[in-house]
Amino acid sequence: MRHFTVRLFAAVVFLSLVTCHPSRAMAAGTAVEAKGAAGTAAISGKVTFSGSAPAREKIKMAADPVCLAQHKEAALSEDLVANNGALQNVFVYVKDGLAGKTFPPPTTPVVIDQQGCQYHPHVFGIQVGQPLEILNSDATLHNINVQPKENKRFNIAQPMKGMKTRKSFDKPEMAVPFKCNVHPWMGAYGHVLDHPFFGVTAEDGSFTLKNLPAGTYTVEAWHEKLGAQTQSVTVADGETKQVSFSFKK
Amino acid sequence: MHPVPFRKVIKMKRLLFGLAVIGLLGAAAPKPTPDPAVGKAAYESNCARCHGPTGAGDGLDAKRMSPMPRKLSEGVFKFRTTGSGTPPTDEDLFRTISTGLAGSRMPDFQRLPEEIRWQLVYYVKSLSTAFNDQKPEPVNLGTDPGPKKATVERGKELYGQLGCAACHGTAGRGDGPSAPTLVDNWGRPIRPADLTHGSAYRGGSSVKDIVARMMTGIDGTPMPSYADALSSPEDAWALATYIRSIQEKPNFQRVIEGVKGPAPLPSGPDDPAWGAAPATTLRLSSNLYREGEIQPTSVAGISVQALYNEKEILFRLAWNDPNESRESPPDAAALALIPDRRLKPKIGSLRSWPATPEAPALDLSLWQAIQAPAYEAVLKDFAQAAGAPEGGAVLESKASYAEGQWILLIKRPLAPAIPGGAALSPSRPTLIGVAVWNGGNGEQGRRRANSNWVDLVLK
Repeated sequence: MRHFTVRLFAAVVFLSLVTCHPSRAMAAGTAVEAKGAAGTAAISGKVTFSGSAPAREKIKMAADPVCLAQHKEAALSEDLVANNGALQNVFVYVKDGLAGKTFPPPTTPVVIDQQGCQYHPHVFGIQVGQPLEILNSDATLHNINVQPKENKRFNIAQPMKGMKTRKSFDKPEMAVPFKCNVHPWMGAYGHVLDHPFFGVTAEDGSFTLKNLPAGTYTVEAWHEKLGAQTQSVTVADGETKQVSFSFKK
Repeated sequence: MHPVPFRKVIKMKRLLFGLAVIGLLGAAAPKPTPDPAVGKAAYESNCARCHGPTGAGDGLDAKRMSPMPRKLSEGVFKFRTTGSGTPPTDEDLFRTISTGLAGSRMPDFQRLPEEIRWQLVYYVKSLSTAFNDQKPEPVNLGTDPGPKKATVERGKELYGQLGCAACHGTAGRGDGPSAPTLVDNWGRPIRPADLTHGSAYRGGSSVKDIVARMMTGIDGTPMPSYADALSSPEDAWALATYIRSIQEKPNFQRVIEGVKGPAPLPSGPDDPAWGAAPATTLRLSSNLYREGEIQPTSVAGISVQALYNEKEILFRLAWNDPNESRESPPDAAALALIPDRRLKPKIGSLRSWPATPEAPALDLSLWQAIQAPAYEAVLKDFAQAAGAPEGGAVLESKASYAEGQWILLIKRPLAPAIPGGAALSPSRPTLIGVAVWNGGNGEQGRRRANSNWVDLVLK
């Protein structure tokens, strides 16, 4: 999970670099200098959970033997994952401070995989216009029921293992729920942003927002059960600011 | 001037006639120009009572319905020929208004002129922003490749491969393993369609209707679009052809014909003797409300057969119930006989019986999916005790549950075994009704699915 998140983030950042720089080079004027401007500042830190975390519930997958067979031990719920005080699956992103700047979407898709009748990743970020590849790695029927408020809704069937479907989102929107009605325990959240400065906390609660332009930002940490917190952060070129968030029940 | 050959005249006449027909059809088809005042007036007098004055689905009668009336202002429409999540076409809305939705309280509005129905389409569209934000994306439904290409066999294979059974069940009776946990997009429990009940398919039961539902999904419900999963139009039509083939043909009658059976009446539901007994389908419904909200029942119909000999009558009841419940409350069924048909006006409908504590008693044969035996008793209400009440008689019964269907054999004597019971005789018909409880749906006591009174005739 941690590796996946890191890789996903790295891919997003890499792509934003690849796709942004040429566009900046092409737009040789100063007026559009800011467009797509990735910088050298960074914000990183940790998200913690104070108090004793409730035990993760065992998911009852008996309704579908294909799901059940993929777990030697019962899979655990993912809606609140705290490991020794570190809070996983928190979406950390720049909420404010990028006005006037545009960041072309990467062409490499974000992949959401249905494997073991769970979504991987459970929380993810995606840019407006960036392809989303929905993959079914299970040999059973999943329906992907996505009901955003701002974006186009869809509910599609993926009955076969290996099926892939591409979608994308037109508008920024937080916490777009992904659901499978066939397996009611399955849930994921996608956050659609118009920039690439976001990350999801790993097992150790860590996150990093890289390649930011220097500036003052509102950074938000969002958790599906515990709500959202914001902090104002000012970073200079080449600087990495440490920021921490602490949630409790 | 050359005379025009006769044949040519005929041809020209045909051509002219053809053009005239096309002209007429064309003249009937064009949609009128939107006239919001006309649309609003028609909406207020025909739609607002259920859908609410602003289309919020909160009309006066809304809570008395299951399924609830559509919240038109949200812009989520189930029955479309457009891609998942996109608004319906004008024609889709026109069709729903014109044909109604089977198995729901949405009636057809054939009585309104087409012009007015179109104005309603425009007005309904004006109630939601969905039509401004997005354009309908019509889905190519293909054309019927014919039964040689779109075979039932191929369709059956696809039914398995595409996971239809997860919700709709192996035999299509809506009893799949995921069925009990399904919720709609507003979090309300929802049942997958019983595919064997073609008459209850909301969006129509033809092969083409089924193709449309599979390709576009049913928005707002768990039913997804299979547009990407079906690899060819032939497959879509084959699957729909198979689903069409499992629709049962109900035999709605006002009479249950009991037929003289073999001396020992059959001991099982598959005995060939049943072939001689015509099966009558009875529609079942409920009108129980709590605080103005309908308490929906789930069993919509039951098939009844009867065989009798000199002494006894054996009923074979078959009904679809998506979940077998043997605990409290258990699944149950009852045959209700009116001991004297002159009492019918005092009894009223079985749905509301007993309407008052003074309502006459009925001769009940009650079976429950529990260890205790079925029994017959003359009662003033359905007392669902776990055994025959005082004065009752134990009845022989045999029940089996498989793939979303109960089959119950229940036997009672022709002569009343208990005081005040109904005497069955070939010389006169007896009024009979059937009630069914789906325990898995929390049904017990007054919350039950009831038939109308029909005549039981012994031939």
